[in-house]
Amino acid sequence: MIAAIRPTSWDFPLFLHLFGVMTLFGAVLTALVLAWAGRQHAAFTALLVALPAWVLSLAGGAWIESKEHLSNSNATWLSIGHGALEPGLIVLLAAVGVSFWWRRSGTPRLGQITVGLCSVYLLLLALAWLAMSGKWS
Amino acid sequence: MDTYEWLLTLHITAAFFYFGAAVAASILYVLAITAEKPSDAAAYLRLIRRVLPLMFVGVAGTLIFGIWLWHEAGYGIGAGWIWGALVLWVLAAVLGQRGGEHQERARKMAEEHAAAGDLPNAELRAILRDPVGTAMSYGAGAALLAILILMIWKPGQ
Repeated sequence: MIAAIRPTSWDFPLFLHLFGVMTLFGAVLTALVLAWAGRQHAAFTALLVALPAWVLSLAGGAWIESKEHLSNSNATWLSIGHGALEPGLIVLLAAVGVSFWWRRSGTPRLGQITVGLCSVYLLLLALAWLAMSGKWS
Repeated sequence: MDTYEWLLTLHITAAFFYFGAAVAASILYVLAITAEKPSDAAAYLRLIRRVLPLMFVGVAGTLIFGIWLWHEAGYGIGAGWIWGALVLWVLAAVLGQRGGEHQERARKMAEEHAAAGDLPNAELRAILRDPVGTAMSYGAGAALLAILILMIWKPGQ
């Protein structure tokens, strides 16, 4: 029920995009839970799972965007999706970097920063899926 | 946003919760299997419980908003891909519950071994790698993935 009418050639890119972004959400959620529990090694591992999922969601998104001829679109829902995925990568990479540093140093403060960065990234993803599924503006 | 768009947004949100929590449970279970100390395995298995509320919201939300969308979008009663998704939804729920019971048994054993010296243990390793219990959890994940495929391709539509 993801879209009522859609050419079949869009299905595979949409699958890649959704599979990637749902896996990304799950991996960052895992990192958040692990960081909250003080498990620095495992939180870093979960964030490493998020990186290929991010690549898959971006590749699938770009592919379907080109198929739908939306590359030059200024639609709000598309801009929010781009914002969460592309500049949002900075937040994700910051979480990976901080969790790596936390793993090396064991400083509890870094665990709290990892929790914060993972929470921000999950909120960005939630905003993106709400905007994209509701086709805001 | 009209009613259809609201329902679609809520349905997709529930799908994100369900799929995301399933991914989290899978990663945590793999971490438990690969943990050397029983206390670590027990900790990872306990953390699976933290994502279960999100999973339950996703399980209920996908069904409720999915059936509502079925009515709202005007898909016929004979839409095979929706019936297929419903069968897979039940399968995923049943397999997920059985897999969860297996993980609970493993968690209890891990906690016992953690309290009794916290040394690597063959019995715990065997229950964590039990092929039937593990297959239940991964079968639930496969059913979930098949639902996503049906929702996108809509065969017969």
